Amino acid sequence: MADLKSQTPAQVLDVLGRVCPYPLVLTKKALEKLPSGAVLKILCDAPASAEDSLPRFAQDKGYPFESVKLADSWEIFIQKP
Amino acid sequence: MAEVKIACVIQRPPYKSETSTLGFTHSISFQVVEMLLEDGQNVIPTVCMVGEGVLNLLTNQKAMENYGVTSIESHGKNSLLCDLDILVCREDLVRFGIPEGRLLDAEDMGADKKLQIVPYSEIQKVMESSAHLLFF
Repeated sequence: MADLKSQTPAQVLDVLGRVCPYPLVLTKKALEKLPSGAVLKILCDAPASAEDSLPRFAQDKGYPFESVKLADSWEIFIQKP
Repeated sequence: MAEVKIACVIQRPPYKSETSTLGFTHSISFQVVEMLLEDGQNVIPTVCMVGEGVLNLLTNQKAMENYGVTSIESHGKNSLLCDLDILVCREDLVRFGIPEGRLLDAEDMGADKKLQIVPYSEIQKVMESSAHLLFF
């Protein structure tokens, strides 16, 4: 699997302070607008989104996914195939 | 992937109930509901604001001041930020004397979408072409 964290993201989506379903909806919309191969970095502090809906969405779509847990939030990387 | 069109018709005025808020939040959530479906269907929601429902779109709502709750204005703006199509009945705006300049937009949040003020006939076409209608 490619190391997404080491790649320069095409876009950083800040959804800090937003709760479900906004992180997922905004992530889906951002990915739709990115070109193939681009990496989206998501800053998220909603546990349900970071640990459940976002990884499940990426898995369902077959998108490469990485997550880094910080003190009170997550950095999430999703690549559009 | 099959697409299923859903029209969420918001006709209740803001506040004193959760109805119109639920119309917005359901519509936003419908955009990602395919991850919970096993048949791969993609749900395409359209929000239709009719009757007293158009009052939900007024700017400068003082919800916290008057009712102690968060503003429905923010739900409308977030809906635009999430690329929802929001159709607003022109006849009802005229009936309530609301100029287009009194309606919210989400340009400050970076939204690409704007409210679409249309005659009721356009809203009727959307409803007729939708597989499901939900009234809020």
